[in-house]
Amino acid sequence: MRARLLISIVGILAFTILLPAKGIAGQGQPSHSGKASAGKAGPGEDDLEEYSSTADIADPIQPVNRGIFWFNHQLYHYLAQPLTKVYQTILPKQVRTGIFNVFDNLEYPDRVVNDLLQARFGRAGQETGKFVINSTAGIGGIFRVSQRIPWTADVPAEDTGLTLARWGLGHGFYLVLPVLGPKSLRDTVGFAGDYALSPTAWMIFWFPGAIWTPAVTSPDTARNVEQKMTSYEMVTHNTLDRYLAMRTTYAQSRKLAGSR
Amino acid sequence: MNCRILLLLTALPLLSGNLPAAESPAEQRLKASVDQVVTVARNARNRDALITGVKPILEGILSFETMTRRAVGPGWKQFSPEQQKEAVRLFTILILRTYTAKFTPGEYPSVVYKSSSTPSPERVEIPTTALYKGKRYDVVYRVENKSNGQGGPGDWLITDVVIEGVSMVGSYRTQFDSEFKQGGAVAVLSALQRSVSETK
Repeated sequence: MRARLLISIVGILAFTILLPAKGIAGQGQPSHSGKASAGKAGPGEDDLEEYSSTADIADPIQPVNRGIFWFNHQLYHYLAQPLTKVYQTILPKQVRTGIFNVFDNLEYPDRVVNDLLQARFGRAGQETGKFVINSTAGIGGIFRVSQRIPWTADVPAEDTGLTLARWGLGHGFYLVLPVLGPKSLRDTVGFAGDYALSPTAWMIFWFPGAIWTPAVTSPDTARNVEQKMTSYEMVTHNTLDRYLAMRTTYAQSRKLAGSR
Repeated sequence: MNCRILLLLTALPLLSGNLPAAESPAEQRLKASVDQVVTVARNARNRDALITGVKPILEGILSFETMTRRAVGPGWKQFSPEQQKEAVRLFTILILRTYTAKFTPGEYPSVVYKSSSTPSPERVEIPTTALYKGKRYDVVYRVENKSNGQGGPGDWLITDVVIEGVSMVGSYRTQFDSEFKQGGAVAVLSALQRSVSETK
């Protein structure tokens, strides 16, 4: 049974790897016009093709994705958002920012390993400098002192999905994961890599039954949920179709992250 | 002696090598409008006051007609003039809501302008970094010289806002496409109407 599962996973990965990056990535997927802008157009028609190449991701299993998206929406609406409001009510903003910064600082291994895997050695140096500064002068990462130093301010955060993209792997196709939300096939594989490089995950793995483990992981979960809910609300509000709004936002923001 | 000092003072800025580049009309227009929005956001006591204050500024600087046309895409040609007018009206409401929803009364961004690019003589892309609620956002304003009656002849108007790589018009284009494929202009207008009546 395990061998079969392993073969399936390897098969999916191999299939993904064999796919040509650009064609399947869906970046530049044509809209209903089906063609990019070409030639001179008449007055007022000059710009109708303007956004025909807006970043998007192939979505062959849309009905399934929409079902999971609907489930996630209920979960966010009835559970995550109320919990986020409680979190925001109990803790003042400064404390929440501190918590966010601490766990963000702890994700250093993920970022620096992916910098190195992408042969971005200068950025790995910046990331290390940022980590050292925030861990020391920033008191364990509570304060983001690195933002005040130009060399360590705004270092683009790498992840395993972006590393796979840099290695030439396309998105594959769009996936909405239960609870976790939007991903592409490539970024789902990447997410597993990010999890393996997360110190919070190491704690759970090394000390599975320890009483203090939830005390360490809960604030990380809370800050992640808060961030996710803020983004979700922002993206899906005032839309014609919140599912499509989320998909294109995901595709566009990943495209930017890959180009940084 | 006085003449020498005067000459020296005149020459000093030229020697410094760090002169601010002359702002283009597009940049001046954008900065003036962003400053106005920031002032309103800073002084607004509640969301209603914020929306009331920001709305006329946005109406003066955003090219709603261009944004609607591009968000719909080639299907725009299949809209009747009445349908086009109605689409612009409804989309304007959505754009204003989308933009104002990003602000919280009393909190305002500090905006740093970077060097702009000019893809064509009538178009300027102005990248900025906005520090808002402790986070930095890359925001690119696409500004174009438009004489569509909204900002007077030859006025520089915003035709898209790209926040963290996500284009406002591009995002709506994906949604409009889907509606248009299902039922043409009628489906687009119906979806717009539904969205306007459902959200606030």
